Amino acid sequence: MPTLEIRDLFVALAATPDKPIVKGLNLTIRTGEVHAIMGPNGTGKSTLSKAIAGHPDYVITSGDVLLGGKSILEMEADERARAGLFLAFQYPSEIPGVSIANFLRAAVQARLAEGEEIDATAYYKRLYSKMDLLKIDRKFTSRSVNEGFSGGEKKRCEILQMAMLEPTFSLMDETDSGLDIDALRIVAEGVNLMRGEKLGVLLITHYQRLLDYIVPDFVHVMYDGRIVKSGDKTLALELEAKGYDWVKQELALSASAAVATA
Amino acid sequence: MSAPALSTTPAEGFTSTRFAQHLSQRAYLPAWWLEAKKAAWNQFNALPLPSRTDENWRFSDLKGLDLSGFTVPEDHSQKIPNHSGFAQAAEIVFSNRQVVARSHVSAELSSKGVIFAPLDEALRQHGDLVRTYFQKHPANLGSAKFVALNTALTVAGGFLYVPADVEVDLPFVIQHTLTGNNVSVFPHTIVVLGPRAKATVVEFFVSGGSSSVTASTLARSAPAAERQLVSGVNDLHAAEGAQLTYVGAQRWSRETLAFQINSIAVERDARVLSLNLHLGGRQSRHESHSRLLGPGAHSEMLSLTVADGDREFDQRTLQTHISPHTTSNLLYKNALLDTAKTIFSGLIIVEPDAQKTDAYQKNRNLMLSDTAEAHSLPGLEIQANDVKCSHGSTSARIDAEQEFYLQARGINPTEARRLLVSAFFEEVLNKLENEDLHASLTALIADQFKK
Amino acid sequence: MQPPTDTLAPPDLNFDSEVGDSASTVENPTVGIDQSVGDFTYDVKYAFDAGSGLNEGVIRYISDVKKEASWILDFRLKAYQTFLEKPMPTHWATKDLENIDFNKIRYYLSQGQKPKRTWDEVPDDIKRTFERLGIPEQERKFLAGVEAQFDSEAAYSNVKDIVAKQGVIFCNSTEALREHPEIFRKWFGKVIPTGDNKFSALNSAVFSGGSFIYVPKGVKVAMPLQAYFRINAENFGQFERTLIIADEGAEVTYMEGCTAPKFSTSTLHSAVVELVALKGAKIQYITVQNWAPNVFNLVTKRAIAMEDAEVKWIDCNIGSRLTMKYPGVILKGKRARGEVISIALANDGQHQDTGAKMIHAADDTTSVIVAKSISVGQGRSTYRGVVHIPKHLKGCKNNTECDALLINTNSRTDTYPAIVVRGDTHAVQHEASVSKVSEDMIFYMQQRGLTEAQAMSLAVNGFVNDLVRQFPMEYSVELKRLIDLEMEGSVG
Repeated sequence: MPTLEIRDLFVALAATPDKPIVKGLNLTIRTGEVHAIMGPNGTGKSTLSKAIAGHPDYVITSGDVLLGGKSILEMEADERARAGLFLAFQYPSEIPGVSIANFLRAAVQARLAEGEEIDATAYYKRLYSKMDLLKIDRKFTSRSVNEGFSGGEKKRCEILQMAMLEPTFSLMDETDSGLDIDALRIVAEGVNLMRGEKLGVLLITHYQRLLDYIVPDFVHVMYDGRIVKSGDKTLALELEAKGYDWVKQELALSASAAVATA
Repeated sequence: MSAPALSTTPAEGFTSTRFAQHLSQRAYLPAWWLEAKKAAWNQFNALPLPSRTDENWRFSDLKGLDLSGFTVPEDHSQKIPNHSGFAQAAEIVFSNRQVVARSHVSAELSSKGVIFAPLDEALRQHGDLVRTYFQKHPANLGSAKFVALNTALTVAGGFLYVPADVEVDLPFVIQHTLTGNNVSVFPHTIVVLGPRAKATVVEFFVSGGSSSVTASTLARSAPAAERQLVSGVNDLHAAEGAQLTYVGAQRWSRETLAFQINSIAVERDARVLSLNLHLGGRQSRHESHSRLLGPGAHSEMLSLTVADGDREFDQRTLQTHISPHTTSNLLYKNALLDTAKTIFSGLIIVEPDAQKTDAYQKNRNLMLSDTAEAHSLPGLEIQANDVKCSHGSTSARIDAEQEFYLQARGINPTEARRLLVSAFFEEVLNKLENEDLHASLTALIADQFKK
Repeated sequence: MQPPTDTLAPPDLNFDSEVGDSASTVENPTVGIDQSVGDFTYDVKYAFDAGSGLNEGVIRYISDVKKEASWILDFRLKAYQTFLEKPMPTHWATKDLENIDFNKIRYYLSQGQKPKRTWDEVPDDIKRTFERLGIPEQERKFLAGVEAQFDSEAAYSNVKDIVAKQGVIFCNSTEALREHPEIFRKWFGKVIPTGDNKFSALNSAVFSGGSFIYVPKGVKVAMPLQAYFRINAENFGQFERTLIIADEGAEVTYMEGCTAPKFSTSTLHSAVVELVALKGAKIQYITVQNWAPNVFNLVTKRAIAMEDAEVKWIDCNIGSRLTMKYPGVILKGKRARGEVISIALANDGQHQDTGAKMIHAADDTTSVIVAKSISVGQGRSTYRGVVHIPKHLKGCKNNTECDALLINTNSRTDTYPAIVVRGDTHAVQHEASVSKVSEDMIFYMQQRGLTEAQAMSLAVNGFVNDLVRQFPMEYSVELKRLIDLEMEGSVG
């Protein structure tokens, strides 16, 4: 069963490599599992997902990320994507003049072997079936990627791409941000439809409410660049009830306890 | 400080004899200055007049560039200037090149090192300072010949120096008036702001002997139709973090041939706002060249023109981005009436090192007559890719829907039109922080429409 | 071969043997450009060769070969004098023009045969060129008529019967001026006077080939007519002349494609294209050029649009060393409409100096200019525009949009519009912007598995997509492919 392993990862902005944002994070995700990382703003959640995907603004200063046992750190962003990594962006880019159909077609084509041509009929058939599944109007495909989209449309477009590209691991960065409850439900249904043995999911979120719709197998609390607490879905509820200050206090307590025992 | 009294009979035209006389009368000035004048005189004579194939003069009336028959006046108007208008830090009033009135900066500003003096006095007392900034960054827009003439013959002009960290709220005012037929004047103003200094300079240019410019006095004495020549130049420098506001307002006689050449140098994190108001002249050419020399530098270039009668207003601008992370914003608005003609030719140049430039340029022509003619040549030359640059140009009449809307509220068509024209100018005037200055310029514009 | 003097050179002495059979013999020093589509030459025997350099003898020679009427020779000789008198426009245009050596250029090369009506009749050496460029296939699929010019003359010219029966004339300039002077002479050289510029004068002196089209009153040609201009010989100057007249209420779409192989020396292409849209007529003129990077492409294109007529230029410039081309419309009749859609892509060592001219000359006329340029590597793209609304007109409108995309840090773009508006009943608007492809957009596409180069290509295609959609399908596919080729090697 493939795994995505994050080992003692340190990440900084490329401009300020001596100021780590992610500070020694460890996490292993297997396909079939849904993990959620929760944490207060500015704790490094988005940095983590962008660094794993290979965003040029970030630099991994130490540690490793392994996909199916192989390090991906030497790979370009597009190679990582073709290796099975999908990032659902918090703020998806607009690509004027490039229709969703053409964009996805280019992305699917990029995954074929050299010299192999995409079967256009089969492609459209599959695209439309995925759209039906996600309850997306077919007119959608002729619109330019994300251009002039509402927040909800952008997120649905991300889910559609995920459905078409069939990644092994999907990193979903604040997929719930900016969505009203209806849009959130639609997005969550999409993810739930794709859940299964072939897909591992890492949900990054600030709020618990997304986890009402996509129920995670594991919940991790991230604070100051690392995972400080892990548990099952009840941890998310506890967090919701007690707030992030509770985590901070617990951390402070255990730190002073550590000092006391030392 | 006025120039020493001389014969009241001026020599005819710009002859070498006249120039020699001009020099000999100023033997008391620094040698470098006299040498610069000599070199400029030679350059003026060597350079040809603009020709039809000169891109910087495209659409200009070249036949109008007739320098013959002008003299350099030695006597000034007998009218005693009447100080009034808005609150000022200090003022210098020139009449036909001579200082006829002057107020000094406060003792407090003086003790902080602020210098505000006529050019002649500054040359004698602060020669090295003047030398450092005089034409340090000459404008490059096609008027080298007329700038040379200015250097050769300039007498009238102001010099303002505000040292580092000194902020002056009230404006410094310089006023140039020109009276007589076939006379010429060559104002040259130099403004130097030290690091983090702040100041406002207002320069008025008027024909007809009225030496105090307020809306009311201008309204009372409409410029006479005397044939006059003006070639004015200024050097504006803002050192690191300085904030300079420069306002130039001209209302020359309807027979004046006028050149005004602005050079603006903006260093790191400095900000210069220049606003030029053009109301008079037969043929009035204005050039403005901003250089963005350090990261964070910003130049705001504004202009308002009321083009009426058969006047030609010829505006040429350059926004040269030399350093990365610099910004500039140009907005030139012309209201065209009667058979007037305007030319706006602007260029944004982004040099190869000036990545992250953000530059904008807009020319708007409000067509108020069926016989007015607007030329617009907004240009871009971009040699760096990580930039935000755009320009726009519109030439159109008053929005008919807006006009109707006002009429539907019971406002008569003339008043509606007046309101919409003033709204057209307000976008620019709004950028002035000084409310008195704002009101003064608004009144000047309103007066131009009343005629 | 000596340049001919006043006498006609013997036709059998001219043999062009300098050009090899394949592209592999020609060095291409420019990196990152694949002009592979057009980059091949075949050894061709020319029966008529005016030699190198230009003098009156060359002009008489061309006129003689074509057995022209004396008024045409007079027209040519007068134009030659104008050409000599006119200065190079280097006071506003690039100094690179001074590198054209008019003495090294060959002004006329042909096999001396009439254009064939079927591909089978076209000599093999020329036929295989056009087959390789896919012309016969396109003709079968979607064209109403094709003319294929090889160096100075058309090798093939055919218009489908259904169109011919409607009275449509579609032939080359020589034949048109000889067989139908009553139709064409009236407008020939009238939209673009000989002395318009130095290169229109040069064309008027030595023109050969091109398409002359007449569409009778009310005839709407459903499928496009196409011309293909092929330069085969080194140091050659191609000077085709095109005149399209759409009579009242007629409609026609004309498309031209242009290619040349890469040579180490420069080649000159200097065409004159005149369009006449009479009352209520519609002309759409589409150009997709893919010149090799040694070609000076200096073309004058202008249309005249009468009452209620519409002229639309779609001009797509890829390749060449220097292109200077500003398609124009003189809006001569009330409510006439002119439009220029311009796409330019300048790669390393290339300068695309393109734009549009809209001369309003009647009330209630409308013009639209949309120009998009892409500068790659050290490529330079320049937009020049003229919008002119003179006095005493009412209700004219112009809208101009210029967008430039800069791909690399040292790419360059310039914009020089000139707008003249007289009067208070017009609405004129010009907007221009410069941008680059954002890093975030590239990363987004990379995250979906596209390489950086593919992402860049997609972004560039997206940038011009709204314009490309106005092209006929076959041309938009071709254009996309050309852009992909040009974008290769632009990143990394």
